[in-house]
Amino acid sequence: MKRHFRELSVAAALALLLLALAIFAPNFYSLQPLLSRLTAQMPALVAAIGMTLVIISRQIDISVGSQFGMCAVIAGLLAAAGLPLPVVLLASIGAGAVMGAVNGALVAWLGLPSIVVTLATMVTWQEALRLWQQGRLLNLPPGVQWFGLSQSAGQMALIGFAVALVALGAWVMKNVNAGRFIHAVGSDAEAARLAGINPHRVTFGVFALMGALVGLAAVMNAVQSPQVQPTCGDGLELKVIAAAVVGGVAVSGGRGNLWGVFPGLLLLANVNPALTHFHVQAYWEKAIQGLVILLAVVADGIRSRRAVR
Amino acid sequence: MKKLWLRHEMILLVVLVLEILLFNAIGRRFLTADNVANIVRQSVEIGLLALVMTPVILTGGIDLSVGSLLGLCAVTFGMLWGELHWPPWVAATGAVGVGAMGGCVNAALITRLRLPPLIVTLGTFSLFRGLAEALTSGTKAYTNFPASFLALGNSFFLGVPVQAWVFVVVAVAVWLLVHRTTAGRAFRAIGFAPEGARFAGLPVERRIAQAYVLAGAVAGLAAVIFVSRVTEARANAGIGYELAAITAVVLGGTSIFGGVGSVHGTLLGVAAVAVLGNGLSRILSITAFSRELSGILTGALLIVALAAGTLLRRAPGAKGRGRSG
Amino acid sequence: MPDLLRATQLTKSFGAVRALRGVSFDLRAGEVHALLGENGAGKSTLIKVITGAHAPDSGSLEVGGKTVNHFNPREAHRRGIACIYQQPALFPDLSVAENIALRLETPRAWRRVRSASRIARARELLTRIGADIEPRREVRYLSMPEQQLVEIACAIGSGARVVIMDEPTASLTQNEQHLLFAVVRDLRASGVGVIYISHRLEEIFALADRVTVLRDGESVGTNALDSMNESSLIAMMVGREVSHTFPTAEGAPGDVALSLHELGCSASGVHGVSLDVRAGEIVGLAGLVGAGRTELARVLFGLTPADRGEILLNGERVVVADPRTAIAHGVAYVPEDRRRHGVILEMPIAQNMSMAIHGLIFPGGWLRVAAELRLADEFIASLDIKAAGPGAPGASLSGGNQQKVSVARWLATKPRVLILDEPTQGVDVGAKSEIHRIIRQLAQDGLAVLMISSDLPEVLGMSDRIAVMRGGTITTLLDGKPDAHTVMAAALGKEAA
Repeated sequence: MKRHFRELSVAAALALLLLALAIFAPNFYSLQPLLSRLTAQMPALVAAIGMTLVIISRQIDISVGSQFGMCAVIAGLLAAAGLPLPVVLLASIGAGAVMGAVNGALVAWLGLPSIVVTLATMVTWQEALRLWQQGRLLNLPPGVQWFGLSQSAGQMALIGFAVALVALGAWVMKNVNAGRFIHAVGSDAEAARLAGINPHRVTFGVFALMGALVGLAAVMNAVQSPQVQPTCGDGLELKVIAAAVVGGVAVSGGRGNLWGVFPGLLLLANVNPALTHFHVQAYWEKAIQGLVILLAVVADGIRSRRAVR
Repeated sequence: MKKLWLRHEMILLVVLVLEILLFNAIGRRFLTADNVANIVRQSVEIGLLALVMTPVILTGGIDLSVGSLLGLCAVTFGMLWGELHWPPWVAATGAVGVGAMGGCVNAALITRLRLPPLIVTLGTFSLFRGLAEALTSGTKAYTNFPASFLALGNSFFLGVPVQAWVFVVVAVAVWLLVHRTTAGRAFRAIGFAPEGARFAGLPVERRIAQAYVLAGAVAGLAAVIFVSRVTEARANAGIGYELAAITAVVLGGTSIFGGVGSVHGTLLGVAAVAVLGNGLSRILSITAFSRELSGILTGALLIVALAAGTLLRRAPGAKGRGRSG
Repeated sequence: MPDLLRATQLTKSFGAVRALRGVSFDLRAGEVHALLGENGAGKSTLIKVITGAHAPDSGSLEVGGKTVNHFNPREAHRRGIACIYQQPALFPDLSVAENIALRLETPRAWRRVRSASRIARARELLTRIGADIEPRREVRYLSMPEQQLVEIACAIGSGARVVIMDEPTASLTQNEQHLLFAVVRDLRASGVGVIYISHRLEEIFALADRVTVLRDGESVGTNALDSMNESSLIAMMVGREVSHTFPTAEGAPGDVALSLHELGCSASGVHGVSLDVRAGEIVGLAGLVGAGRTELARVLFGLTPADRGEILLNGERVVVADPRTAIAHGVAYVPEDRRRHGVILEMPIAQNMSMAIHGLIFPGGWLRVAAELRLADEFIASLDIKAAGPGAPGASLSGGNQQKVSVARWLATKPRVLILDEPTQGVDVGAKSEIHRIIRQLAQDGLAVLMISSDLPEVLGMSDRIAVMRGGTITTLLDGKPDAHTVMAAALGKEAA
């Protein structure tokens, strides 16, 4: 009970929000729009898996939005060139992993602060993409959208896949040594070193995996529409960080749980539709995200101060 | 120690001069009055942010929210002038006040609740930009400012762009603060050893708070200049400026881990980035994409400067371990 | 049967400080060997050599009959040496079972975690030492003694032949202590050698078979405990009369400068402290590590403000809420940890010296470099500080000179009360007597000096009066010139023999 307090309270807040919508804006629940909205969050969910691991290892990655855009464009170009979808997927994952590995190498082996490194790579990739594509939209060939399935089948497939990935990630984090190493390094890197774990390798691996997951998420996003927008990743980093932090991952590292990203992300994702349904302007999304991040760290700060005494 | 960073600034100065000579040799009309004024105008806002980022980083902190705060202050300024019909110069004071308040939010969370500056200012980075967007419904822009106000960003005074005078005043003030006052001394001491500073009776929390509030207030000032230069107030003002400012500071020899650094180094860093961006875009004659190019350069330069700083520090050997008996 | 561990003539220096000067030590299978000595006697350095954290400068170490050539912690671990520190190095965010597993298993990233068997093994190990700890609990929810028990379980689980315990009972309750003793006896019965460090004599007599006493980096001797009693053990620790002479006081002390009445601070465990310190007087504050001396100093300096009792300065009641108010009231504190708290190593010594008087020498907040340099030059001359100049960074100075810089910073505040915390720790002999001379001169000039020291000869030689602390309060006040035996007995909580 005590250890899952954060997850439960976020889930309760989400339930409350959904209940309020059910009472005051019942058409929020009409099936197809609901399904679409849910599917639209799945790429962020997959990226949030990576971000959770990054934060557990006591790092942060704010370049994921730019990585996402870059991967989306690469995937889009390859798909438009007629390559089969599995190849496109692999290429996107590979591109993401390379970008993640750059961050990882700089953070792990040069000991640079991850916030500054990823801030720099964020802008580098973002502007490189702009210079390269100049904001052009990419049209995808017809077979790509929803993997060539019907819309609802595609949506179901994406949701099922993303949820399965979270489940797999949660299982690995708990049941494979590597997952425990991530917790160990985030908890106390020096003690980890003494226990024979190489903290540099763990940090590098986590950043590379973060990139690979972003590559995967970019394809999951691309198949939802007939076009790829180079700006599709803008702001993703904050949404994903907020989802992880709200879901109970401590920014001080070591602690957190992948299941928390569900209520975390859904709560954040539903703020905007809820605002619209309550006839509040939708432009508050970013402000609310920022506020939510601050609230989460303030809550953590107060809790850890109390724990220290 | 002192010699080391002095040397860093000398190297940077040489690089800057070489840059200028190179661009002047191969670029067209690089060292013309027009182009120099252009470079100055385009770098004043980032330069202001870099100036006040210096004390923040000297204390071992960081402020990611200054770019967003610039956007929020720009919008506030537009609203005060456009909706409440305040005279521009009064509205400007209001914008600076809002900036200082934003800095207070950062300072309170960092010093009162002892939260890491990084995550606090990441949160306010999003919050301030979000407020700016919410206040303007995302797209609304305030325009048609009076010519007397636009002069700040687009005219000359004694042959120099008007905003350059503001910049010089702020630069001198920040230089004096960092290099000639006890506050500056305290920033360094805190950056080197926060506990040691506390044991010496320095007002650690108060100094840290002052650095963030100053950063906020100057972000407000930069917002006013920005609005005057681009002639409109919009929520997207200053996107990515925090990175450019941090880059200039780190490039200028200030250690991202705190303690070591100087304001003149930051000024050289600002100049080096500005000249490089402008010069390259002229050589490649792709002026249309100068923003993207300078973004890429800024990011790459920041990483190179950080990596070089870390590798250089590592070279003389790790710090001696504490002993015991 | 060879000894489990044999150290021969180990030496180790840190800069000018010789922490070990040829220490020999041996540990047999199935014995508890107590290691005793004052702070700075070389115990921790010896332990760090044995656990591979430091390589010795000379001498040799044999473990299980084989000479150790490579000193690193993993190597020592492989040879079956385990150390239980006072502050356990566990992962706070992982469960007890996982902490034990990460210690004991070779780290293979892609191996499946067998939670059930990890938990079972942890439970088995914990049961073996009689610890009632749920293996699934996260370590950060455990108390300090519980964490220690987890460390012991790790040591046992790794099949360690040599187990080092560094003041293991410092934070344990009576019950937990008995539990721990039983564990130690079990270890001994199973043929493990235990090196047991403690200041509590009753524990040593209850538990240990032999004792080695260290003093000034040398071994005073190793004896079987059944041939000793408390008095002879104290005599061993105290040693011969010290050779070097201390400056003596001239004239009578003045009025009471600092007066404490029932002072307490619940956060740091200081309680019921009453003490008067007169101007011109040096009061030595003796006691063991953890007796609350540094904690008391921090209360007086406002780092952890008092919540009970009162502080009077020159007869006037004052509230010391933070270091700034302490400084304003004329209280100065030269901290124990010179490198972290006393001097900012990266900054020039002139800037270090002026740091506590910014308001005084820099009116209006403007730096006046000339005044600062003048101040630095004065102190460099008057304290005879060896440095390249006032611009030399603190890190470039030797320990003793750093300490003088730290003292200079506080003398610059023209204090009325000077608190010195271990003023000569890690300082070589020459600088030590110089610092002693300076301290006496300061008292002579009218300062009230409160000197915390674990160096018994220093306390005896320097102090006009000695206050002995134990368990967070002053238990004994000794006037005149008590002998070492009396002070040590008081610090250990024994009646003087």
